[in-house]
Amino acid sequence: MPDLLATLRAIVGDAGCLSRPEELLVYECDGLTLHSGWPAAVVLPRSRSEVQRVVRTCREHGVAFVPRGAGTGLSGGALADAGVVIECSRMNRIHEVNTVDRYAVVEPGVVNADLSAVTAAAGLFYAPDPSSQQVCTIGGNIAENSGGPHTLKYGTTTNHVLALELVLPDGSVVELGSPTGWAPGYDLVGAFVGSEGTLGIVTCATVKLEAIPERIETLLAVFPDVVTACRGVGEIIQAGLVPAALEIIDRRTIAAVEASVYRAGLPQDAGAVLIIELDGSAVVLADQVARVREITTREGATRVEVARDDAERQRFWRARKGAFGAMGRLAPDLYVHDAVVPRVKLPEVIEKICAIGDRYELTLSNVFHAGDGNLHPNISFDRRNPEELARVVAAGREILELCVEAGGVITGEHGIGSEKRDFMGLVFDEADLAAMLRLRDCFNPDGVCNPGKIFPTTRFCVESNPKARGYARVPIG
Amino acid sequence: MVQAAALDRVRDLLGAEAVVEHAPVDLDGRPVSATVRPGNAEAVAQTLALLEDCGLAAFVRGGGGRLGVGNRPSGGDVILSTERLVGIDVFEPAEGVCHVRAGTTIADIRARVNSEGWDVPLDPPGERSTLGGTLAAAAVGPRCHGYGLPRDALLGLEVAFSTGERTRCGGRVVKNVTGYDMGKLYTGSFGSLAVIEAAWLRLRPLPQQVRCLEARLSGLADACAASLTASRRESSRVTCMASGVPGLAADAARVVFELTGDTAAVERDAAWLEAELGASELPATAIDALREHQGTFPGEGGLRFRIGALPSRLAALHAALQAAGAEILSYPGLRLVYAGFRLPAGDSEDAADRIFRAVAPAAAEAGGGCLCESAPAWAKAEREMHGDVTALLPYFRALKHRFDPGHILNPGRFAGGL
Repeated sequence: MPDLLATLRAIVGDAGCLSRPEELLVYECDGLTLHSGWPAAVVLPRSRSEVQRVVRTCREHGVAFVPRGAGTGLSGGALADAGVVIECSRMNRIHEVNTVDRYAVVEPGVVNADLSAVTAAAGLFYAPDPSSQQVCTIGGNIAENSGGPHTLKYGTTTNHVLALELVLPDGSVVELGSPTGWAPGYDLVGAFVGSEGTLGIVTCATVKLEAIPERIETLLAVFPDVVTACRGVGEIIQAGLVPAALEIIDRRTIAAVEASVYRAGLPQDAGAVLIIELDGSAVVLADQVARVREITTREGATRVEVARDDAERQRFWRARKGAFGAMGRLAPDLYVHDAVVPRVKLPEVIEKICAIGDRYELTLSNVFHAGDGNLHPNISFDRRNPEELARVVAAGREILELCVEAGGVITGEHGIGSEKRDFMGLVFDEADLAAMLRLRDCFNPDGVCNPGKIFPTTRFCVESNPKARGYARVPIG
Repeated sequence: MVQAAALDRVRDLLGAEAVVEHAPVDLDGRPVSATVRPGNAEAVAQTLALLEDCGLAAFVRGGGGRLGVGNRPSGGDVILSTERLVGIDVFEPAEGVCHVRAGTTIADIRARVNSEGWDVPLDPPGERSTLGGTLAAAAVGPRCHGYGLPRDALLGLEVAFSTGERTRCGGRVVKNVTGYDMGKLYTGSFGSLAVIEAAWLRLRPLPQQVRCLEARLSGLADACAASLTASRRESSRVTCMASGVPGLAADAARVVFELTGDTAAVERDAAWLEAELGASELPATAIDALREHQGTFPGEGGLRFRIGALPSRLAALHAALQAAGAEILSYPGLRLVYAGFRLPAGDSEDAADRIFRAVAPAAAEAGGGCLCESAPAWAKAEREMHGDVTALLPYFRALKHRFDPGHILNPGRFAGGL
């Protein structure tokens, strides 16, 4: 251990290597507080070369390493139990913004929202917008294939990554893709995005920039209940409209938001509100707003408001984006669940999810990307209460099983991480998982890079090389 | 004899109708005289396991239009056709998704979903193009500027490996990060890793309005700039610039536009094209003709390249390709250029050599890679059709070895002779 730390310090400097307990505490978990583990050390490299040297040093010492962005992930993907965390936050330079060809070349630690702030003057923005975009980083977004409210129209991170430079688990460097978005050979950019840091560490990314739409219209439709709101979403989709976002906030979330600093003036007697955002040119939006108003009213909305200005638009979104923060008032812990169902199944699934919450006597609220069928049942709880924690876990499993039975999957944007690895069997059989391992084994054959993620530890004997789990548990210090 | 015995085993396993013996088909120097046609997905996997057991390699075939793409094969005994894997198993108009078997033609999918107000966002050249072939080749056409790339339409995939295993990836929902995105790996792999059995596709709503226009522009740099601007109009689904075409001056271009979407946006953008570029109306079928031209030019015996190009370098690329004698179709919004070269009789080998040596650096300068999509067999000898993949070849090899350990799927065709 002293050798390892000394070598790491020599690479990244004293300020870039954390090893004291009080420094490591913050790295005990990511946004999923249910899972925790204590890293041996945290290093903050400043360059690709330092990442390479850190990776090689870890390998020489037989220690696993785990890439980490801002730690806002919600599936335990950045958990490093006894391994070395490689946090990329100091690699935060924007190397190039090409306004003609509409791409940017960035380091992994660039904060998502900062990129759009830099490119806004040129009329461009970076489209993926996870709720944590004010702090989360592009590198983390790439690892998780992050989405966000505007995924409905603009797609997830994978639709916006053109090229990658990576340090592979053996310490070598590869460049994948091209700024044109196409390169001959296998689509390794596509395979790497969303691989949750198990195939390598992004050290530079070329990402697409989109034109800021000429105009944005944001509507707030008030519904008597969440099931009716879901039906409204289905009708909008079936009408052939492609809004930029379709977000539902249920009654319990509205109450939490209105009692918090994120208060947005939402009607507290509403069963649910649906935020509909349309963007494009002024000549098309007037008609689309009218169509959405007509559909939502027909489907049972008791009131439909159109934001009169940007301030009002921000007010609507404050309720949506502040929802998770507002729930902090309800209980010490929040389990932000993530699953996807076919959009046509939303009404029946959301009803059953609420019933599961009631049956387990849990405080369960819903705020979700309805246009994508991407549910976020949020359970407020106190993890110090083991009996309540057991109910949270049991309800969570039932929710996932319900979504899979409805034709859905167990994560739409948070990833598998350590949280859901043992639920992979709900969606995939052993042959499906073995195919994924074939890919992993090409780049990370001994599992030393972010071990213990994605692949189940039960039922399926996942880590093809048993050493992999050993790496995660190498006793250090 | 080995092949005859193997075909008998296929007949025994899948029935006589699963094997067709025919006059030899020359696939870049490999004469192949038998086609295996499994009748369902399970039979595909069984066939592959049997072929591997017999040590026979397969050319995987969808519609057949891209069967010749790639390097010269290093093996190949039979054609494995997906022609009997036909049908749309699920189409959910309320959801805008469908599950389709690999051998179904894009035209058939389109006809089915159009009737319910949806469009399939795939646009491969070739009327017989199948879903499996389109995904395997990541084939694009003019409308992919508006549609997106084939990988963007893909929600889930079912494939069979050469070992006879069958696996799924992705799913039927429109947002999904459950496990690795294996569909991206198989898309564009030209059947070198697995055989596609079926896919879940995300559909797009049919637009309110469609209009097609064309303009003649002079001055390559100005034409490229104008085409790029046009491609970024809200309703632009196609912007295709043709140059180096017989009948056009060397520095002139014919630009074809298709506008789709809400009527107000289409009419506004059409008025802009008319006023700014002097564009005039074309029949709607012009885009279909353009797509078919992209898939067939410059004709039998010529060379055709697909090149990635940054918009800012498009004019320089056009100039370099034209200097080498190319006919060019470029899609500024897609960042893709197709360049076709006719080879003169009598001087073909030297001409081909000059062209390959001209295209590679021009593509690199344009910011992208290049793939020679079409070339006579003799021109493929000792040449890499997939451009410079040297740096990534060790990883490509590792993938091929793990996914197709017996190297029986399109052997030799893929990048690096894999």
